[in-house]
Amino acid sequence: MGWFGLLGMVVLPMVMTAVAGCSAVPVARTPLCGPSGSLRVGVMDPVEGRGSSRGAGLSSEQRESLGKLLTVASGCQVELEPLDSPERARMKLAARKWDAAFLPPGLTAFALRAELGYTPLRPLGLRQSSLSAVLVGEGSRLRHLSDLNGAKVGLLPRGSLGGFYLPLYNMHGLSLGRVSFALDYASLLAMLKRGEVDAIAWDESMPDPGPAVRRLQVDGHAIPLGSLVLSSALAKADYLPFLKTLDDAAAQMPESIGYSASGLPQQQKLQPLKAIVDNVESWSMPLEGQPHRVYGRKITS
Amino acid sequence: MAITLSVVFSLSLLLAVLVLDQFFGWQAKDLINQRSDFFMDSMLAVREYTTKNVNPIVAPLNNGPGIFRPEAVPSYSANTVFDYLRAKPDYKQYSYREAALNPTNLKDKADTFETSIIESFRESPSTTSVSGEKMTPLGSFHYVARPIRIGKESCLACHSTPDRAPRSQLLAYGDSNGFGWKLNEVVGAQIVSVPQEALVQSKRQSLLATAMMLMVTFVVVGLVTNAVLDQLILRPMRRISSKAEEASVTPASVSFEEKVRSDEIGLLAQSFERMKQSLAISMQMLKDRQKP
Repeated sequence: MGWFGLLGMVVLPMVMTAVAGCSAVPVARTPLCGPSGSLRVGVMDPVEGRGSSRGAGLSSEQRESLGKLLTVASGCQVELEPLDSPERARMKLAARKWDAAFLPPGLTAFALRAELGYTPLRPLGLRQSSLSAVLVGEGSRLRHLSDLNGAKVGLLPRGSLGGFYLPLYNMHGLSLGRVSFALDYASLLAMLKRGEVDAIAWDESMPDPGPAVRRLQVDGHAIPLGSLVLSSALAKADYLPFLKTLDDAAAQMPESIGYSASGLPQQQKLQPLKAIVDNVESWSMPLEGQPHRVYGRKITS
Repeated sequence: MAITLSVVFSLSLLLAVLVLDQFFGWQAKDLINQRSDFFMDSMLAVREYTTKNVNPIVAPLNNGPGIFRPEAVPSYSANTVFDYLRAKPDYKQYSYREAALNPTNLKDKADTFETSIIESFRESPSTTSVSGEKMTPLGSFHYVARPIRIGKESCLACHSTPDRAPRSQLLAYGDSNGFGWKLNEVVGAQIVSVPQEALVQSKRQSLLATAMMLMVTFVVVGLVTNAVLDQLILRPMRRISSKAEEASVTPASVSFEEKVRSDEIGLLAQSFERMKQSLAISMQMLKDRQKP
């Protein structure tokens, strides 16, 4: 057999093997995934205590559409977790179970703590003139915050800025008779009107609570907007294409999220409130239905 | 002949690769289905363990003033265990969901596609498993799904009405989701999915390894065949051909030594030997006639 024949015998099968084995070469891409291999995204209503009770204020269709948008933007499988409880969201952030999250202001302040290291990307929410207040019944004998000693108080769960951190910060040193929680301000107001509690946390940007209640105290800190935050691991990666896709699709985002494609997170406004969150987080924490002494080292800003 | 052989070998290899491509495709899908079944059985075992062993200890804590402890929930345990399993590189491509039409945690809320699977289980209670392909923004996925049926009365403590549910659960997930479940009702589905790319990748690896082995085998067989043919047939035939040409001029000086062989070459040499002798006699007779 000649060399040509031998060459044919070796080369032809090689070419055919290569053709058979190397079809459908995968397209290279750089997905933005978390350490689990997927992108775990927490979604909270950016407006605290609004109380839609349908999962971060999103309908099923809005959740599905947001999930698809995030999948396209990240190039990664998305595990979307809408939550109504700031307490559960806080636990997720503390355990770094979320790679990205749409957060209200209190949880944004919590996520920015140095040990968690989340990075804010875009502001969320529409509420601009939000102030934390404490309401009591119109006929209540309570006139000052100090009168809350021994009183039954209703708060939003841990993680809420206007409904938990700020009221507790202002109640420092008091011994509350009982603390009750609700997921939204409307439920707290109903508890107050039913007489189940003597005072509740309130947000001044909520619709007028009516003549049956009056303000015991209004906190002077302006509550900033929430934020879309990214975990420290992903913030070190190239997340700009992800952000650009979200910015380009801002109009398709659910309106209730209040995603602002051109906005910058209100870090400066958040700084003093972050200090309050850090401070209150170091105190003893109230439990549902239990008396509570608001106790801990108070750092005044 | 060498070219013919190489073409025959190459076409054989191509045919084998095409057949194997189909075969490995089935095999890869079968392997993924087997693994998916194993995952789902394992997760059912985890759910069972949680229901029987963990829930009785942890659930009473959820009735207290503290935060809600999801460790009491079978679905939470199954998903958490799967997350640990998925941390291993071999299983990274797999994803596991316990999607429900009306879950307590909206993370488990079925999307449109999952809803259609769950509805099909509800409409056909005898169906125990379905599998197929689904398209997502990330490409095509192979999935295997099984129904989740409420088989224990204890599940209804947290899923019948909000007033039966622990207060801590209501504070964690609200009072709108995950209620109204009924005993023996299909409420969701276990769904394992794998990117088709993983399936193709698995098939490609098997195919490439087998094709390489076949190619090496074919080349070695070809080279050995070539050497044997050359030694046993081609060279003796070339020698016989050369001697036959010489015998046509001077038959007496030529001897076909291959005639001692007992094979076809030997027979051919014997024939040429007889022809040479006949030619020699004929030539001698011709010479004798020409003498005066």
